[in-house]
Amino acid sequence: MSTPKRIYLAFLFLVASWCAGILLAPLLKAFGLGAGSFLYSWYAPICHQIDQRSLHLAGEKLGVCARCSSIYGSFLLVLLIYPLVQRLSSPSLPKRWWLFVAVIPMLIDVSLNVTGIHPSTVTTRAVTGVFFGAILPFYLMPPLLEGFSQAWHRLILRGGLFYARKAQQT
Amino acid sequence: MPEKPNKLRVALISGAVIGAVSGIPGVSLINCCCCAGVWLGGMLAMYLYKQQFTEGMQPLESSDALMLGLMSGVVGAFVSTILSVLILVVLGPVEAEFLRSLFEKALERLAEEGSVPADMVEQFKDQLEQSIQDSARISGILGNLFITLIVYPIFSILGALLGYAVFRSKTPPQTTPAQ
Repeated sequence: MSTPKRIYLAFLFLVASWCAGILLAPLLKAFGLGAGSFLYSWYAPICHQIDQRSLHLAGEKLGVCARCSSIYGSFLLVLLIYPLVQRLSSPSLPKRWWLFVAVIPMLIDVSLNVTGIHPSTVTTRAVTGVFFGAILPFYLMPPLLEGFSQAWHRLILRGGLFYARKAQQT
Repeated sequence: MPEKPNKLRVALISGAVIGAVSGIPGVSLINCCCCAGVWLGGMLAMYLYKQQFTEGMQPLESSDALMLGLMSGVVGAFVSTILSVLILVVLGPVEAEFLRSLFEKALERLAEEGSVPADMVEQFKDQLEQSIQDSARISGILGNLFITLIVYPIFSILGALLGYAVFRSKTPPQTTPAQ
């Protein structure tokens, strides 16, 4: 298996675990298990977790709010299909303005809510978050794969030099 | 070819920004949107680092973004915890009290509407009081430091990688292609 593929699978596992935790928190709480509270406190520093602004599962709110859930969910879904859309070894990145285009719906939703023109609902929060989450893998994956590959090869090179020096000494 | 600029200074600056954004009550609410403050801190690290490059230096690589993000996140986690403790000692649980007043108002409104039974509101208030007391305990502070030491570097790395993608040169440097 090639290095980028290994890195991709490891990252996919991490993101899938992160998203699974978001879904597990309400399920564990609904079954009265203490691990649910731990998962809620795990996600607490990164999300307000307000009940009225969250999606629910088994009668309990998810680990993070609706906007965050949709960002992470769409990120995971696009990450799953990423190798079908772009080669893992390809270092090409989309044009910068696509990122700003993807953020605009979220900014409009927040601005309309703050100015009181139109209150944002769970649906608008979830839908606008999807765009941002879906575009992110295309900006993050090429430098992530390249960066870890570079670090990995440097590590191997250092290890090789270490053993070469050791062999010279003996 | 001259060496790349030192990462430590940039990581300390951006880590301090992450810590300040996450530790100051009120400002820290920015992290309620998928750790946005930490993402921005990672992006700031990449921006500051890129500014230090001069012509003829080794090119900026994505592994630099990984390392910078990691360092900034770790510094940010420590700075935010220290700042939170200092604020807790000097001013008391300001943010917790602010959040409590918000939650209590929302709960009372829901109770008036009849969406939530009155006894449940009392139960929520007790839980809130308990969590505020827990957050001021040493175990609560250490628990928070443990979580932020894992979460902040992850989001800071993602921010730095996004910064690498956004602030990259239009003509990319020759790097070793991933195998």
